Amino acid sequence: MLFTPHDLTDAELELQREVREFLAAELPRGTFRPALGMGAPRDRAFSGKLAERGWIGMALPARYGGHDRSAVDRFVVSEELLRWGAPLGHHWVADRQTGPTINRFGSEEQKRRFLPAICRGELSFAIGMSEPEAGSDLAAVRTRASRVDGGWVVNGTKVWTSGAHESDWFVVLCRTGDAPEDRHAGLSQLIVDLRCDGLTIRPIPFLSGHRDFNEVVLEDVYVPDELVLGEIGGGWAQNTSELAHERGGPERWLSSYLLLEELMRWRPELFGAERGGLVLGAAVARLWAMRRLSLSVARMIDSGEAPAVQSALVKEMATRFEQDLVVSLQELIALEPVSDGDSLFERLLFEAVLSGPSFTIRGGTNEILRSVAAKGLSAL
Amino acid sequence: MNDWLLIDGARRLLGETCTHEAVQAAERDGWSASIWDALSASGYSELAGIEPGDALAVLRVAGEHAAPVPLAEATLAGWLLGEAIEGPVSVLAPDGAGELSLEDGLLSGTARRVPWGRAVDRVVAVIDGQAVLIRTAVATSLERRTNLAGEPRDTLVFDRAPVERAKPPACELMERGALTRVALMAGALGAMARLTVRYAAERRQFGRPIAGFQAVQQHLVSLAQDASLVAMAAERAARARTFFEIAAAKQLASRAALTATRAAHQVHGAMGMTQEYPLHHLSRRLWAWRSEYGDEQLWAGRLGAAVARAGADSLYPAIAGGSTVI
Repeated sequence: MLFTPHDLTDAELELQREVREFLAAELPRGTFRPALGMGAPRDRAFSGKLAERGWIGMALPARYGGHDRSAVDRFVVSEELLRWGAPLGHHWVADRQTGPTINRFGSEEQKRRFLPAICRGELSFAIGMSEPEAGSDLAAVRTRASRVDGGWVVNGTKVWTSGAHESDWFVVLCRTGDAPEDRHAGLSQLIVDLRCDGLTIRPIPFLSGHRDFNEVVLEDVYVPDELVLGEIGGGWAQNTSELAHERGGPERWLSSYLLLEELMRWRPELFGAERGGLVLGAAVARLWAMRRLSLSVARMIDSGEAPAVQSALVKEMATRFEQDLVVSLQELIALEPVSDGDSLFERLLFEAVLSGPSFTIRGGTNEILRSVAAKGLSAL
Repeated sequence: MNDWLLIDGARRLLGETCTHEAVQAAERDGWSASIWDALSASGYSELAGIEPGDALAVLRVAGEHAAPVPLAEATLAGWLLGEAIEGPVSVLAPDGAGELSLEDGLLSGTARRVPWGRAVDRVVAVIDGQAVLIRTAVATSLERRTNLAGEPRDTLVFDRAPVERAKPPACELMERGALTRVALMAGALGAMARLTVRYAAERRQFGRPIAGFQAVQQHLVSLAQDASLVAMAAERAARARTFFEIAAAKQLASRAALTATRAAHQVHGAMGMTQEYPLHHLSRRLWAWRSEYGDEQLWAGRLGAAVARAGADSLYPAIAGGSTVI
């Protein structure tokens, strides 16, 4: 069996209640523009308030400003933030993956330098993995770090770097070895200041015109030895471990959830009728069960396992559901989305149609996820 | 916590008795006395007497082995009457009981799709709010029919036949019936996924195992997803035994019966279409169980109606909390 069933404990249910109360008080419905999942806008002040409650860097050690809590606690908090449509963009990447990665592989000095600021909701990170010639085939990265006195000089280009223009740092996967015969052994991760000399950030507007993606060009960027993350040559294994945190969480099944809730609020009569009831019932059943699979992944992370196969199975299935839900709702309500629609549902639908294709691409395409998952099916 | 001794015992016993040949023979003969007797002798015909979660865990094992015996019916009958019933006993699903009437303790009309009607001693039906127990021997006629899996689903006609017992049912038949099918289906889906993964690793074409082809891997992954999703839902439903969890689990299981069988058959190619290869024991049962006690549409409708009544503010709490909210 790949997934072990788990429920939330009483303490975790208490945390869920606290987060719900916080959101109802801090961001009452109707007073803010909710977002679709993890593509939410940045709001430093909001991230700061979450940090005050101890809800950023929850699973990080208290001695580095964290809270010695668990991946499941983080699951509970991020689930509630996502389904509320809260502006979690500022701390999202740092909280989900960079913090845990620095905690696992970073030096003592790096932990002291970065983790407390992440946990205060101050530092924002971007992801420096993809390149023009290295998308799904991540081991094909060409960005190269060359040895110089006291550090490394980096040259190369990263693309699809979400939020690089608004973030403070990014972790760059690059080539430090010369061994072309082993594409994995020569890779390393560097922590790079997005404001440093030699670094140029250019927007790559989304098809909607929205700015999020960037191209980040590194020209002779100097990175001191103390910002090498983990081992030189250990980049591939570290990056793989980081991806396990990036996959399988609630953000993979909640991207279009608010459409359903808002359509129920706006046009409740649709769901009292037979067709709407069928769509609603099928969606609720699937969300309920996928959530339990996702919770099982978080428990595995807490028990020290690396649930790469399970995360891939969940993400591949759940992101397809996110898209299917948009289609089902479009079929339920005859409506051509226009910008600045009168209802929140219309505005969210407009956004969901335009951003929908990304659900099954970001964080590893579904085709790659199937390959990852297929390797572990003997454990069924 | 499940009783693992009991479940392991069932796995061993069913593994020994429900061989490909035995399941095949049960279909041909309409009954397998040897499998039923072996299960009865070990007490598995009285699952209603144990903790329901354990009983459902045994049914899941029965589903894995495509056990061609009314184990789910015996359990359900015991739950409905709140007592153990001697001999093989079946249960009439609500949609097969519409033409029956009860008057002064006498049963008249037609009972449709009676599981193993020809082989069981007794049948439990719920009529006008009463769970009644009746001997099959008093039926005036019996017409042999089968479901998609070749399991007996017979038509029995009664004419003012005296019932042995009539009392208010101790549980809700539609929900409990669906719960037994969810357990069977979770078992069958898991077994089907394992069988298919194994076949893809062994079957070679173009000089390599077909599991190495991405197009085939896609089917294996979707099969594993369906099996995992339903297993998770079935486990929760077996513990909760409440409307929300049962409705959601049966909706998912019935839906998976369509998608997972399609993927499994595609991987197996022509071999999967033969009687000699065991895939059909699982796929045909999944198709049959999909419809029994409500298919994916029926349960989506019921669940959707309940969630819609609760309103938008309760939507996410229900997804996370299930029957604690709805």
